[in-house]
Amino acid sequence: MAVRREKAERLADEELMPLVGRKDPEAFEVLYDRHGGAAYSLAYRIVGDRAAAEEVTQEAFISVWRSGARFDAARGSVRSWLLSVVRNRAIDFLRSRAAKAPKLDFDDESALEQRPAEERTEEEALRRETAAELRGALGKLPDPQAKVIELAYFGGFSHSEIARILGLPMGTVKGRMRLGLEKIRGEMAEGLA
Amino acid sequence: MSASDHGRWSDELAAYALGALERDEADAFERHLAGCERCREELRWLQPAVQTLPESVERTEPPPQLRESLMAAVRAEARQARERTEPAAPRRSRGWLLKPAAGLAVVALLVAGAVGYEVGKDGAGNGGGTTVERQVGGIDVKMVQEGNSGTLQLAGVPQLPPDKVLEAWVEREGKVEAVPALFVPDRHGKAEARIADMSDVSTVMVTEEPRGGSDQPTGEPIVAMAVPQ
Repeated sequence: MAVRREKAERLADEELMPLVGRKDPEAFEVLYDRHGGAAYSLAYRIVGDRAAAEEVTQEAFISVWRSGARFDAARGSVRSWLLSVVRNRAIDFLRSRAAKAPKLDFDDESALEQRPAEERTEEEALRRETAAELRGALGKLPDPQAKVIELAYFGGFSHSEIARILGLPMGTVKGRMRLGLEKIRGEMAEGLA
Repeated sequence: MSASDHGRWSDELAAYALGALERDEADAFERHLAGCERCREELRWLQPAVQTLPESVERTEPPPQLRESLMAAVRAEARQARERTEPAAPRRSRGWLLKPAAGLAVVALLVAGAVGYEVGKDGAGNGGGTTVERQVGGIDVKMVQEGNSGTLQLAGVPQLPPDKVLEAWVEREGKVEAVPALFVPDRHGKAEARIADMSDVSTVMVTEEPRGGSDQPTGEPIVAMAVPQ
């Protein structure tokens, strides 16, 4: 039986998940109200247009609704898990859109988002990077580290694609990823100290 | 494991945490990770840094219709789930309301297949084998049992998204076990899974799972069928 909305609002995310697993719409609605904004913002940041972001967010939340039992509290918070579901859906969306798109002229700006990963160019990478508003922890990193993390996490590029796009050895790309993440992590640890 | 071996994999760690390894590289790294406590510890340390990335995104308000359409879909599914399970429970009390093995989610096993009905049974053919056919939620299901093994044949299965597979499960003595059988429908919607050990199996189920399969069902079965004892 569905719990009342007011009762669900008093529960922690981790307490809501078993109810979502039992198909309780009220619990799910509270979960959406808590994290839907962050989820949609992330989807929009990755796919770059509102209609697609809406589609991705809806698909992600539906998959959470249908598979709430997959959440494992030992591996992180509900919010982190949920946002990782959104991120994966958004990257899948980008790749599927790229795969379906016809081959277009490289000077066609509108075609840039539609190209398969292997055809995406440095031009695109730079456009994405400059268009991105780097905020928070990422914004504090030196540009070379922020750029590779940005391309990997928000662009869905693999390290070898990033190496090709930026014209860098793969080892350099992986090293910058590592340095950047360690720096963010170090700042988080200092903040807690 | 040598220190240099660990060092080689350690270079992959950040790329893995960011989801930036190719699939085969990620698979290889995960195999290493299973046996390397140092890498697991480093990954645990770096993971929160990755988790802050989505939080750094500029906030964009979702349109109100997203919430409306999402909740409409969710409420409709919740209603359908209730309708499917509640009326069928009394007549399928054995084999449908399953006692899950440790860690298995009960919800995944409240069986959608209760809407199925038997359309044929052959207890004599196939060299002493048993064939049971049912239609479950628009899918034609045929369970052919010969000796200790069986074959589950499905027809009319909707096409799956590219990142999904079908996974078969059996209920044996009240516990649900994964069958090492991942499969996908062909372009005609037909799919088949072999179940090597049918001893004491009371129910066979199929769920849709992420590619690579799952250790436990992650959603409601698209097919669930009681097996004659």
